[in-house]
Amino acid sequence: MANVVELPVVPPPLLAGWTAPQGSGKSSAPLVERKLLPAGEAYLAHVRRAVHNLTFEEHDKHAEEERKRLEALNGSGAVIEDDLGVGDEKEGADLLLLDPKEWKKQDHYAVLGLSHLRYLATEDQIKIAHRKKVLKHHPDKKAGQVGDANDDAFFKCIQKAFEVLTNPERRRQFDSVDPYFELMQDDVPTQSQVTKHKHPEKFFFEGFAPVFEREARFSRKQPVPMLGVYEDSKETVEAFYDFWYNFDSWRSFEYLDKEVNEGSDNRDDKRYTEKKNKSERARRKKEDTARLRGIVDTALAVDPRIKRIRQEEKEAREAKKKGKGAVNGAGGANSKQKAEEEKQKAEEDAKKKEEEEKVARAEAKKAKAAAANAAKKARRAQRVAEGGDAA
Amino acid sequence: MSQPNGTADAPIEVSSIPTVVGINFGNSYASISVLTKEGTADCIANEDGERQIACAIAFHGEELYIGNQAKHQLVKNSQNTITGFRNLLGKKFSEIPVNALSISAPVIQHPEIPDAAAYKVKVLQASPSPLPTTATNTPAASAAATPRSEPVQAERVLTVSEVTTIFLKSLIQSAEDFLGKKVQGAVISVPGWFEQAQKDALEKAANDAGITVLQLLEEAGAAAITTTTGPQPEGLNADRTQLLVDLGASALSLSLLSIRQGLVHSLATLSDHSVGGDAIDDRLIKHFAKEFTKKTKTALAVCPATDAQDKRAEAKLRLALEHTKRTISASPGAATCSVESLKDGLDFTGTITRLRFDMEVRAVYDRVAAKVQELVAAAGLDLYDVDEVVYVGGSSSLPGLDEALAQGFVETVVTPFTQGTVVGGGAGDPTTILARGCALQARILAQLAEGTDEEREVKASFTHGHQYTQAKVTSKTVGFLFPEEGVESALGGQWIPAILKETPVPARRIVTFDVDLGEGAGEKKVGFEVWEAKEGVKVEKVKLPKLEDEEPAEGEEEEEDEEEEVKEKTVEKENLLASVSFMATQAKKKGARWTTRLELTSIVGEDGTLEIGAVEVGASGRGEKTVVRVSAA
Repeated sequence: MANVVELPVVPPPLLAGWTAPQGSGKSSAPLVERKLLPAGEAYLAHVRRAVHNLTFEEHDKHAEEERKRLEALNGSGAVIEDDLGVGDEKEGADLLLLDPKEWKKQDHYAVLGLSHLRYLATEDQIKIAHRKKVLKHHPDKKAGQVGDANDDAFFKCIQKAFEVLTNPERRRQFDSVDPYFELMQDDVPTQSQVTKHKHPEKFFFEGFAPVFEREARFSRKQPVPMLGVYEDSKETVEAFYDFWYNFDSWRSFEYLDKEVNEGSDNRDDKRYTEKKNKSERARRKKEDTARLRGIVDTALAVDPRIKRIRQEEKEAREAKKKGKGAVNGAGGANSKQKAEEEKQKAEEDAKKKEEEEKVARAEAKKAKAAAANAAKKARRAQRVAEGGDAA
Repeated sequence: MSQPNGTADAPIEVSSIPTVVGINFGNSYASISVLTKEGTADCIANEDGERQIACAIAFHGEELYIGNQAKHQLVKNSQNTITGFRNLLGKKFSEIPVNALSISAPVIQHPEIPDAAAYKVKVLQASPSPLPTTATNTPAASAAATPRSEPVQAERVLTVSEVTTIFLKSLIQSAEDFLGKKVQGAVISVPGWFEQAQKDALEKAANDAGITVLQLLEEAGAAAITTTTGPQPEGLNADRTQLLVDLGASALSLSLLSIRQGLVHSLATLSDHSVGGDAIDDRLIKHFAKEFTKKTKTALAVCPATDAQDKRAEAKLRLALEHTKRTISASPGAATCSVESLKDGLDFTGTITRLRFDMEVRAVYDRVAAKVQELVAAAGLDLYDVDEVVYVGGSSSLPGLDEALAQGFVETVVTPFTQGTVVGGGAGDPTTILARGCALQARILAQLAEGTDEEREVKASFTHGHQYTQAKVTSKTVGFLFPEEGVESALGGQWIPAILKETPVPARRIVTFDVDLGEGAGEKKVGFEVWEAKEGVKVEKVKLPKLEDEEPAEGEEEEEDEEEEVKEKTVEKENLLASVSFMATQAKKKGARWTTRLELTSIVGEDGTLEIGAVEVGASGRGEKTVVRVSAA
């Protein structure tokens, strides 16, 4: 690299009367012979320039390439472990201030720097992430640093997170109530949102696809059929709804149990807490099942594919009928058609009524949830942005 | 958790650090340096924990002692102890001055090789192996007498080269023990005054010891590498004049080096074998001997000692003084010197303060100072031109030496003492500086490729006296002059030196700075002249109390207490080479004034052609380049 020397001097402005004097025409003073000591990088550079006949600029380029080559050489030589995409996440100030006593409230993935992977993190990734964090936050590393050298709170948080995430059972429990997804859980498009949207079809797929993707992780049966696209066949759509109505979830809520007071001698007290926890778990599970069912119901109600399939079926029927009518004659067909039409009308009316009611109900619900939703959305947006940053 | 904790395979270690070492091979002490992970060089200790390994080998019975252990043999076993052999390398016996007073094994004429120096030592040879036995385990019938089972006394004649080989082998062994790997190559330091024959002899001895010699590096070069590598001290230019003071145990050698962005050449060198650590020792021995006589009423005649007992006492004192000198160097307090049973079974313990110490060795310091003056004068410079002083060798760690030399230099002169890097293996540690330089050089050489002819040529250029070491240097400083009104200097403006004299060509220097363009918002012009300048030092003698100016009297030696020399660097315009002017287009307002950033590139070609390129560097990029060329003479 060109060695640029920065000088602290500031030459004054030009004199008013100064004009560039003509060079005296004299040449620079003659050179003198000296003997260099063949030592150091500078001598090497000097010789290289002479041997390869390089100008300074060319040599700069050369040196840069050489430097890169050496760097690459050292880089490949050095033992760089593959961290399996764990990466380095930024540790926010609030993360470092976590209280290890409140470990149930902490986001274990965030503590280990895995919030971009979450439930997808493999065992190896968790191990690597834990190792990385320990290397950074071990109390031994903090000795001699400014501040409280005995502050190992975050290290304890790391250990707790690792303990939870390496135990499959406990990890499943935590995944069931992962605070990150909990926040997004209620972010489901409502029926009216879909129907009132300018492009209901597009909105349906955009709105519901992530919901089903999120919920799919709880399924015991894998793979889980996803929402799919508008052009899906009747069978696929039916299979989809069939699967989701019979969703077999592993989600459980032990993680939210109230702590059983182990120290207490009172057996009744313990049993009471246990009982309460059990009922609470069952209640939550029931609620969760209902919640999922509600989502599927909503989706089914506004699924444009169902409409399309019905339309297609109707058209097919009509085409068939038309073909039939031409053979059977108009009369019988007419009365039959009339009856059918009436029936259809009544059906449609009922449907309309029901729909209106539903819309009204949804409206009320929406109004109620509007405030909460808005707040939640904002939070989610922020979360997503943060997650994006970290990833 | 089915995975095992690790694998049974040894870790694959692909290290980018070549296992090369630097060896400083002095006449009295040697040191070894290896490369660290951080890319720096570090002086290592041998298995005795010594970083300063004495160049001595001693034979005692069946044992062979090398290094500092051998030095202790000088007390009782001096005739079988060999020291000071490096300087004899490559010399014929007839060339070696007859040294009447040798404290170690005398140098003799080799009994077989004509005109070769050798040492004769008494050793015990291991007993010959027993006679071959028969199947019944009884000695075979033999007419020979039964051999003695004890080791037999024998005389062994060693050439200087053999001694050196033994010693170097032990150094490399220490390095290999430290590294845990085979040493692939080494750079060994040699003094500047070594002749080709001596260098050849050293290389041969090293090769016999199984060392691949990458280069025999001049000590000045090694010191320059250490001082130019790594972070540079504050206020030190990449172009500077360096004074190298190498005060070893047996000799003083001085070099005045011109360092131009790492390229080093010597302006003047000087060596004196009459001053050194041994001279300091002699004075201190005399001092302590006197003290001993005073305390114990036992006569002790030393330096020179004639009596065998006195000789032994002197050797003991000499060994003990090593510690005293180190203490004086390391701490400002007093140092002790204690010897058990110095003479006639009497113990001796004496203390010496820094002041007393400096007083005792004042003559040595003064001699060094005088030699420095002589050296600088020989180069046609003044002490004031020296930007940096570098000390090499154990004796130069003495703070008194730096104080004694400090007069005459610029106040801003950089020495390891002003930087506080003398002790504890700091960058300026005089005892390790050469070894570290050698190790750094070894790394450079080890990384050189040898694929093409050109690359081989580059590698060859590091051998002694190669054509590429011949370089042309500029003889006059070239700089930029920004004219200014009302300045009292003779130049009439702001002077910015670009290419100092003694800069090897081709050379390029780039400087960048802000230029004041005045307050007006109109046209802004930048202009300056390129001059060759004559630099000098103005010496004025000022009488201190009256502050009366006197005629500058150079070469006037007598000095009065009230008189002080006041020196000043001067620059005189000598030869106008060119002038540059252009319109500033990237000016920006800073406060009330307009400024612009200028980048000036000066290149001196192989033939001496000067090329000045001026570019404005603004926030929006680089402006147009204005180039002027000045042809060579």
